[in-house]
Amino acid sequence: MSEAKHKFAFYLGCIAPNRYPGCESASIKAMKKLGVELVPLKGASCCPAPGAFGSIDLNVFYAMAARNLVLAEQMKMDIALLCNGCYKSIWEVNHKLKHNQDLRDGVNEVLKEIDMEYKGTINVYHTAELLYNEKFIGVEKVRSSVTNPLTGARIAVHYGCHLTKPHKDREFENDVMLNTEHPSWMEELVAALGATPVEYRNKMQCCGAGGGVRGYDIVHALDIANEKLINLKNVGVDALTDICPFCQLQFDRGQIEIKEKFGVSYDLPVLHYAELLGLAQGMSPQDLGLDLHAISCEPFLQKVL
Amino acid sequence: MAEKKKSTTKKTESKKETKHEAPAKQEAAQKAAPSGVSTTKTQEKARIGVFICHCGTNIAGSMDINAVQDYAKTIPNVAYVDNYKYMCSMPGQAVINKAIKDNKLTGVVVAACSPRLHEPTFRTATKEGGLNQFRFEMANIREQNSWVHMHDQEGSTEKAKDAIRIAVAKAGLLQDLFPKAVPVEHAAMVVGAGVAGMQAALDLANAGIKTYLIESQPTIGGRMSQLDKTFPTLDCSQCILTPKMVDVGRAANIELMTYSEVDAVEGYIGNFDVTVRKKARGVLTPAEAEARGIVGGGCNGCGDCEPVCPVVKPNEFEVGMKPRKAIYISHPQVVPLIYTIDWNSCIKCGLCVTACGPEKKAIDLEAKDELVKVKVGTAILATGYDMFPVEKKTEWGYKKYENVISSLEFERLICASGPTSGHLVRPSDGETPKRVAFVLCAGSRDNTGNGKPYCSRFCCMYSLKHAHQIYEKIPGVQAYLFYMDIRSFGKMYEEFYYRIQDEGAKFIRGRVANILEDPVTKNLHVHTDDTLLNRPVDMEVDLVVLAAAVQPKEDTNRTRKLFGVSCSMDGWLLEAHPKLNPCGTTTAGVFLAGVCQGPKDIPDTVASAEGAASAASIPIHKGEVELEPYFATCIEERCAGCGMCINLCPYSALALVEKDGRQVMQVTEAKCKGCGTCGGFCPGGAIWMNHFATPQIVAQIDAFLLGGEQ
Repeated sequence: MSEAKHKFAFYLGCIAPNRYPGCESASIKAMKKLGVELVPLKGASCCPAPGAFGSIDLNVFYAMAARNLVLAEQMKMDIALLCNGCYKSIWEVNHKLKHNQDLRDGVNEVLKEIDMEYKGTINVYHTAELLYNEKFIGVEKVRSSVTNPLTGARIAVHYGCHLTKPHKDREFENDVMLNTEHPSWMEELVAALGATPVEYRNKMQCCGAGGGVRGYDIVHALDIANEKLINLKNVGVDALTDICPFCQLQFDRGQIEIKEKFGVSYDLPVLHYAELLGLAQGMSPQDLGLDLHAISCEPFLQKVL
Repeated sequence: MAEKKKSTTKKTESKKETKHEAPAKQEAAQKAAPSGVSTTKTQEKARIGVFICHCGTNIAGSMDINAVQDYAKTIPNVAYVDNYKYMCSMPGQAVINKAIKDNKLTGVVVAACSPRLHEPTFRTATKEGGLNQFRFEMANIREQNSWVHMHDQEGSTEKAKDAIRIAVAKAGLLQDLFPKAVPVEHAAMVVGAGVAGMQAALDLANAGIKTYLIESQPTIGGRMSQLDKTFPTLDCSQCILTPKMVDVGRAANIELMTYSEVDAVEGYIGNFDVTVRKKARGVLTPAEAEARGIVGGGCNGCGDCEPVCPVVKPNEFEVGMKPRKAIYISHPQVVPLIYTIDWNSCIKCGLCVTACGPEKKAIDLEAKDELVKVKVGTAILATGYDMFPVEKKTEWGYKKYENVISSLEFERLICASGPTSGHLVRPSDGETPKRVAFVLCAGSRDNTGNGKPYCSRFCCMYSLKHAHQIYEKIPGVQAYLFYMDIRSFGKMYEEFYYRIQDEGAKFIRGRVANILEDPVTKNLHVHTDDTLLNRPVDMEVDLVVLAAAVQPKEDTNRTRKLFGVSCSMDGWLLEAHPKLNPCGTTTAGVFLAGVCQGPKDIPDTVASAEGAASAASIPIHKGEVELEPYFATCIEERCAGCGMCINLCPYSALALVEKDGRQVMQVTEAKCKGCGTCGGFCPGGAIWMNHFATPQIVAQIDAFLLGGEQ
């Protein structure tokens, strides 16, 4: 195994370690094979959740996110994270604090109480961005790391909202990622694993969970997810992949709830892209904790293993 | 307090100094004047008349004219001051005329608007008063003062006093100058042979002027030849355009140069030397063949070469929806009817040469670009437009979803001579669409930074026409027009709008947020907010037509720089004045026609072309033009012949010549634009810029810096 070319402070967030630990292990192991070392960001708190915290008290939201950023500043490493919600909080707060001196002074006032100071010395990346951006990894490198191609699997992509939107507040190094209306870079990453990416209607629609909707009004949240599941069923897919554990929770756990509340079942396996990558690089379903998913991944696994 | 005192003393000191210096400078100025220029008039005591214009309330409403007038009387050398409501009016000019004679004035200052507007007017008045017209200086107290300081009466009054003092300082040192008349070449050039360029060329030719018509494509006709029908009359575009194309091809006075580009431009109004690159066409015209001694040869458009060509490429004229060969004509009505070889795809197999045969010998696979020099008096740019690459608006999925097409593709699909013989079909399955959405302002009136901020002006009308065309051709079809505003401003346009409403088209007011494809049916879901009914819309349709914005042609920037024409922020070429000189440019002798100046429909394009042709023919018919005598002159006794200025000159107007056994600089006056680059640089102070001479400018700066304390 080659020496890691890039090192990042790995920010886990809440849902990945608690609900889908496979995302965590797959990210660390798979990225290492691609020359990226993810070093645990010790002492990190909740990002905090952009909808739940951001809609109630922005100052708390900024200060908590800034604290996580300072932890990485102290490690002198850029942050890598694997969740769209975390990206919205941590990337956006970092961006705002770098460009708004007043805001920064206010946040540092709060951080002073715990002997911390935000300096604005690091950047924040989503792992999907690291995988796609040739500066770090790139599609070709992903393709060449595959030992167990997912040939024959029809996989649809759910991009989620917070990574790419709002468009006006995003600055990706890679222009392709700035196409927030009809992106297809994740499909390229899916194809790199040997699977067939599948387009479906209303691909960019929200999963329904974000912004506190799932916590506040589960029936509406599930209704939105259900609409996407109908569209997915219409094109026929073996699995849905995502890059956000919260979206994953909504589609995976949500299918059980949809069955209870609406009486329809889809039994569609839902996997984080890190889990797919782990599989394609030869990790076992047990290592990936796929047995912890609410919807069984077995039919999909039988097709690809 | 102490500081203030100090500064006052300082001021007094400097005042003394300048007082002391002033006569010395005057002397230097006279010495510096080139030997050829008479200095007698500057030696006499300057008597300046100051005329303050109210411009109605444009100026008088924002400042105290009486205070300005009282102040002007105190300025040294001012012999007469007056004010008038409209100085540019006949009575206003009469005031100047009379004052010059009564007061034996040596110079005139008018404090009014920008010299861009009325300098010529007041120069004429100065001349009629018996002075040399260049004894006039303008103080701009409107655009640069009253209009921008509308609510600062005191500030604008003080600023007007400054402006007048500065102008008087220069007016005292002005000299008699005499414009140079140069003959105008009895020929014109039109760049671009779309409907604008063709109309302009025909008008010029009909007025008896030899006209070179340059077109970068192998055929003339431009965008209009790609259209099916024209609004609101529903004339067939080709039917009304083809006769004009044929006329252009036949006109004795038009030298048509297709597949050619302007390579270099030198010279000035009346005498432009233009180098035209005739791109290698690979096919000889009958005239070219004859020149090579092939009697009765050259391309006759028979088309024998085309079937044998093994290379197939998308035809750009059909927006890539129909194939063509590597040797091709883009459509049957091309003018001239001469085939062209696309060198990017030709494999030089030689099959076409054989098919063409030994009589015609029209094909030359080794053809090279040719440079041709022509001399013209005036030029018209009619370079047209391109479609905005609407795929940049990713939310509408153009080039991603098969059934989202652009309006130009629609034109070709609905056109009887197009790739589907006029049957509108869905690209995904060839079916006839029954529900068609038209998305207006597709990239126009868009302030997201991703589109164009301006209105493209003809998309509303052609989208209405498109809706009409599908009702005409497809029974049971439903058209939906998604719009912001319908701009149906022209003659019979509003009536046309009502007609389309009556035909059954549905109008939904709302910008389209996004378009999503159903991957199974390939139908499209158009999402918007109906802002009249205040509700979200998800409209399922079979085909979407994007009325894409227009933008200047890619090559426009290169061409405009060759001719020294400016462009506005959005890239369209800049007219001399948007209202009063829409066809002229700031470069004398260069005019604009058609969409290259800004989006226009066909009637406006043709009107602007006729305007440009008329404007461009004036200097030619007059036979000579006067050049402003603002050129540089060399004060030979000071010139060291170092030659530093030669390379600095952007207009190649300077040269070193041998005189009395040594090298001195010499100016070609007709080439010099008076930019002053050389004059500012000359280490020996040996270059005298007429009308902007160093002593004149220094006097202005002094007058400003010294404030009112003289």
